[in-house]
Amino acid sequence: MTLNLRPLLSSLLRSRTGAILVALQITIALAVMVNAVWIVSQRIADIEQPTGIDDDHMFVVAIAGLGSGFDLSSALAQDLAYLRGLPGVVAATATESAPLTGDGQGTQLFLQPGQRGRSAALGVIQTDTQGLRTLGVSLIAGRNFRPNEIQPFSKHSLEQSVPEIIVSRALAQALFPESDALGKVVYDGAGRPMTIIGVTHDFMGPVGLGNPKYQTALYPKTPGEYGAYFLLVRTVPGRLDVLMQTAERHIGASNLDRVIFFAHPLQFYHQRMIAENRNMAIFLSAITAMILAVTCLGIFGLATYNVSARTRQIGTRRAVGARRRDIIAYFMVENAFILCAGVLAGCALALATGYWLSVRYDLPRLDLYYLVGGVLFLWIVGELAAWQPARRAASVAPSVATRTV
Amino acid sequence: MLRYYLRLSLKSLRRTPGLTALMVCAIALGIAACIVTLTVYHAMSGNPIWWKNNVLYAVTMDSWGADEPHDPQHPTLAPPQLTYTDATALLRSSIPQRKAIMTQMDGMLSGAPGQTVPMQALTRATTKDFFAMFDVPFEYGGAWGGNDLDALPEIVLGKRANDTLFGGTDSVGRTILWNNNRFRVVGVLRDWQPLPRFYDVVDGAFEPPEDAYVPFSWITTLRSVPSGNMDCHTSVAISNYQQLLGSECVWIEMWAQLPSAARRERFRAYVDSYWAAQRRAGRFPRPLNNHLTNVSQWLQVNGVVSSDSRILLRVAFAFLAVCLLNTVGILLTKFLRGAPIVGVRRALGASRRQIFLQHLVEVAVVSIAGGVLGLALGAAGLVGVRAIYAQDSAYGLLAHFDPLGVAWALALAALSTLAAGFYPAWSIGRLPPAGYLRGR
Repeated sequence: MTLNLRPLLSSLLRSRTGAILVALQITIALAVMVNAVWIVSQRIADIEQPTGIDDDHMFVVAIAGLGSGFDLSSALAQDLAYLRGLPGVVAATATESAPLTGDGQGTQLFLQPGQRGRSAALGVIQTDTQGLRTLGVSLIAGRNFRPNEIQPFSKHSLEQSVPEIIVSRALAQALFPESDALGKVVYDGAGRPMTIIGVTHDFMGPVGLGNPKYQTALYPKTPGEYGAYFLLVRTVPGRLDVLMQTAERHIGASNLDRVIFFAHPLQFYHQRMIAENRNMAIFLSAITAMILAVTCLGIFGLATYNVSARTRQIGTRRAVGARRRDIIAYFMVENAFILCAGVLAGCALALATGYWLSVRYDLPRLDLYYLVGGVLFLWIVGELAAWQPARRAASVAPSVATRTV
Repeated sequence: MLRYYLRLSLKSLRRTPGLTALMVCAIALGIAACIVTLTVYHAMSGNPIWWKNNVLYAVTMDSWGADEPHDPQHPTLAPPQLTYTDATALLRSSIPQRKAIMTQMDGMLSGAPGQTVPMQALTRATTKDFFAMFDVPFEYGGAWGGNDLDALPEIVLGKRANDTLFGGTDSVGRTILWNNNRFRVVGVLRDWQPLPRFYDVVDGAFEPPEDAYVPFSWITTLRSVPSGNMDCHTSVAISNYQQLLGSECVWIEMWAQLPSAARRERFRAYVDSYWAAQRRAGRFPRPLNNHLTNVSQWLQVNGVVSSDSRILLRVAFAFLAVCLLNTVGILLTKFLRGAPIVGVRRALGASRRQIFLQHLVEVAVVSIAGGVLGLALGAAGLVGVRAIYAQDSAYGLLAHFDPLGVAWALALAALSTLAAGFYPAWSIGRLPPAGYLRGR
């Protein structure tokens, strides 16, 4: 099939304003769509990262002993004995730094004392022997803490050190990329040595404290240095809500020298952690879909107008021998020209936007496959939008040409 | 004349109901998207004490360790908080008109008449100028007096705490237990929630307001450990409360009221000379990097407005642009289709200006309809936003429909559509009539 492009171009150039407007819409739509899909795909990948802990079946109670007569050691022992005795509780532990809540302690460990050598940022969870079981985290090497290794709470000693720690695999690899971390000695910021006695699979501990998500360590330690502590409880499936209410009521009433700040399922925090990414994904997708819809309506509208404005011309062409499919091809090619102009400008705008986003907001640089995919998608959708008006043009009868309008 | 144009435009719009609906919907969608993102953005980026923007300054000092800046991603910034040593030293200066240091505490209120269970009370430990400096409204009483670092055991209650403990009555003069220590109530606040909470963005710019305010000197007297953010870089382990106070850990925010440039310069010089003296004594390994930052800059450098909401705002405006381009296209098409009638009207004596005005009225009708529908859609969108953000109490506060946002959106609707409709109305007014009459 040959198509004479000369008359097509000249008619396009004669009524160019409408075409330019539609091409501009395509330009913006492509630039927004490509970058939005790119951002959304990253957010979804982020949302789908596993926590590595049994957060579906865990709840956390935040407590602060603020009264002057508050005896932390006995209160903790009572709370843990009570929780561990509740039917349906798998395990429970007390910590100062709860996973996923954004409330906790971050620190750095070093390979040499005096803050020298390779270092890694991490989140810390203080726990006793039930920590691993409460979190639902399993060891891939080494052993759990022994009861005599748990450092007792001392009112006059803030920031005690611990001689043994258990680390997540991500932290082990960050500190010892080439060798096995088990049994190695690392140092805290104050230069005190700690031996790695166990390595677990990756899990999220305290987040948002300047540490990569999966770099976590367990410290064998009784919490309370800073007055407030968390009780972490893991339950059997289906019992979480009931047990949480029971525990909250009992703990709240058992000791008037303290207050419960909150009791929440850990899922609450997981949801809150991913909320920002999820909301961004929802908003971006919604606005992008609307931009695409409006752009398609623009393409459709322009094609419809062109068809109705050129009814006589179409009739004439049909009368002198043009077939239906020639008419369809004419309008589709005309539309393709507009698409082409819009898409070319759109590619430039998409790349510029992607570059700007990466510089201004530290987002990863746009993957070019997304651009190629976006161009193809918009092209197909754009041609589909013009298909119905083109079909209608083809149904114009040759006799129209002979009538006066 | 205007009524005649109005009638003509309504008639013309009714002639093509599909196109009219399309235009109105496109504008409405664009406006709605902008309303939703603008409202969220506005709530996040608002300056809740704009009338004192160039009077209030956050005081920061680079006390961090030698190895790397406090925030490696923003190496030019000093830590947003001060050490106890520095905060209390700077507080002694009489140069600022008002000044306050503050930190966040966990608190528990008990001992109110008829109270059985202690009430959890988020507490701010601060100095007395806090209230006057930030224009905090009192329902009853006022701030405590005395020296900043030697105050009486007096407490100011937030509205929620006073409602819960005293049924909202005037509790000034009553005694209450804060963390089991006796405090006398000297003031009760009205509902006060600056959004964002500019004075302590480190502990959360969208946190609910405090329930209680206690004199800063009492937390050191009672040896209470703060519950807000505490950053430490020292290699010395802290083993008791005195060491915490003497440490290089930063955990205190400081604000100063400096109404004139001269006072600002004098205070800056004071801070710098304090810094130099401390450096001679062996502290502060980093280069001189002290800042007095006003409120709007403070919100900006601390990244209170998330980059996500900035991106969304821009995407929404891109969407509005597409919607307007669409509308311009449709209007052009529609007006050109009516060109023969315009030709007749011109031939019968209508001036170019009259044709232009007549079409501009039609544009205005479309834009008003789109704006009104857009407002309705925007309100519905905000309800949706609230549902999406419901899990995060901090954001739940954001999605209120503030009047300023509505005014912005209305202005946006009117301006953008009129601007968009101007070109089609102008080009139809310019058409020579003869060409369209000849074919008839």
